[in-house]
Amino acid sequence: MEAWLFVSPSAVGFLIFFLGPLCAVVYFSMTEWNLLTQQAAFVGLANFEDALLENPDFWHVVRNSVIFALGLVPLNMALALTLALALSRPFFGVVFFRTVFFAPVVTSAIAWAIVWKFLLQGEGGFINQMLAIVGISGPNWLREPNWAMAAVIVTRVIKMVGLNMILYIAALQAIPRDYEAAARLEGASRWQIFRMIIWPLLAPTTLIIMVITTIGSFKVFDHIYQMTGGGPENGTLVLAFYIYQQGFKFFNIGYASALAMIMFVIVMMLTIVQVMLRRKGAE
Amino acid sequence: MTNVLLKGIEKRFGSVEVIRGVDLQIDDGEFVVFVGPSGCGKSTLLRLISGLEHISAGDILIGDRLVNEVQPAQRGVAMVFQSYALYPHLTVRDNMGFGLKVRKMPADERQKRVAEAAATLKLDTLLDRYPRELSGGQRQRVAIGRAIVGHPDVFLFDEPLSNLDAELRVHMRSEIAALHKRLATTMIYVTHDQIEAMTLADKIVVLRDGRVEQVGSPRTLYENPANIFVAQFIGSPKMNVLPADAAPLLAALPATLSPAESVGVRPEHLMVVKPGEGILRGKVTLAEYTGAVTLLHVALADGHTCLAIYDKQEMPEVGAEIGLKADARDLHFFDSHGQATKLRSN
Repeated sequence: MEAWLFVSPSAVGFLIFFLGPLCAVVYFSMTEWNLLTQQAAFVGLANFEDALLENPDFWHVVRNSVIFALGLVPLNMALALTLALALSRPFFGVVFFRTVFFAPVVTSAIAWAIVWKFLLQGEGGFINQMLAIVGISGPNWLREPNWAMAAVIVTRVIKMVGLNMILYIAALQAIPRDYEAAARLEGASRWQIFRMIIWPLLAPTTLIIMVITTIGSFKVFDHIYQMTGGGPENGTLVLAFYIYQQGFKFFNIGYASALAMIMFVIVMMLTIVQVMLRRKGAE
Repeated sequence: MTNVLLKGIEKRFGSVEVIRGVDLQIDDGEFVVFVGPSGCGKSTLLRLISGLEHISAGDILIGDRLVNEVQPAQRGVAMVFQSYALYPHLTVRDNMGFGLKVRKMPADERQKRVAEAAATLKLDTLLDRYPRELSGGQRQRVAIGRAIVGHPDVFLFDEPLSNLDAELRVHMRSEIAALHKRLATTMIYVTHDQIEAMTLADKIVVLRDGRVEQVGSPRTLYENPANIFVAQFIGSPKMNVLPADAAPLLAALPATLSPAESVGVRPEHLMVVKPGEGILRGKVTLAEYTGAVTLLHVALADGHTCLAIYDKQEMPEVGAEIGLKADARDLHFFDSHGQATKLRSN
């Protein structure tokens, strides 16, 4: 009894704010519930059927989410690793640089997106003005379908790369320096040391980073909401934002819940695949 | 011919001087041990020879070739690290073959070399295991194997046995001695354990604060230490150092005490006698029984404490008064600077 009392503050919070809503979403996903009319009807798997088989927008949105993830995850990880390799060893000013690259992680995502929206404006934007100095006529980044996705990905990478950088720095610092010394004595070049020693030893960290970054990229909402609103021409309409639209713009709570369940399954499957690939790689 | 010559070696880390002018000649095939207390610079000196650290001043010659600016891998040296530094994601076979692989040696030749080294070190059955699946002693052997396969001119050992338990350390010590005998390659070995130094070395280099205190064979260092530091560092338990006035009380001296300020006598050279038989007397304050012998802590009348090894059956009780004697040949005299000195004859 005492034990239950001790865990109760946390357990109650878990039940009310996590498990409860989770069960509710499962139930809602099988209803047709309009928030405006407050009429709910149990429809079984109809919402899933509609999303997966009938709604052409759904697959377009999934495609956008996949493009977003394929663009963001490798770019984020490559940049994070490069920064970590540069900033893992002590030198004068290293703390300053680590802070600079980590600071965006703790800034408000909305504030970040607003600032970048200004910077990326068509003609008056700072980025295009800078490009104009070197004679390049920049596009209207957030208004052209091809560029909008790239712009959102890059700004998101700059915002979140600091977190992965810190994870990689911690992993690099945990690798004993003697490994590198031994490899140098045996004639390995810097690239060989990285490829044959450092990179394999970073594998567990790389897996964690890949999983959390992939999950994060599928859940991206605030950047899209603020910078493009899913446009232009639905070019940046990703799954999380589409769920928001269905639920809170069109008030189709049941349908939005079904979409959320599908997103959950997609992310879980991706995570399982990544873990299995890592296991296979380790064998 | 792979001799190693150090000329005026200095090393500074920022403003901290770690090695302060070391000159040393190591002959081909010699087993040289760097020994000294922690922080004396022995490991740094080894890393300077390996090329993992750059020297601040001086010259290093390996096999008569100046290697100051030569990359570590081109110096013809192999090193065994205190931590073994075995790559955890590679098998024993791949760990041992790593250096050959990065040097682009053909796979069959590589396998042959690894197999040879594995046979030498009795690692044949462990080749497909990972380092985490090995015991401490086996890891140590793999680390040595990794050094052997490259056929280096000089082996460098950085406190290789300090992570092993006492029994295994004794065993591995004999294996390293046997390896040196078989390969007859120049070996430089760093340790803070003077028993290791004494048992393995052809030549011991005693270091303190980045300087060489004395170079010599284990016997030379034990019998003719150049100063109080070496006298007390070599030999266990350490040598007693008493004011020179105590010397005539221990043994009949055919000489005046000048210029000696202090006298050293090893605990194993002190004879415990009845209080009336020795002129130097003291009280036993502690008797440490170790089986073969008993180590007596004796408080002398002048306040000094000295250690004596007692090897007879009946043990003096704590608090008992005893006399101490020594042979005049076993006394070491030191001047006011702590340097060894000879007494002037009468």
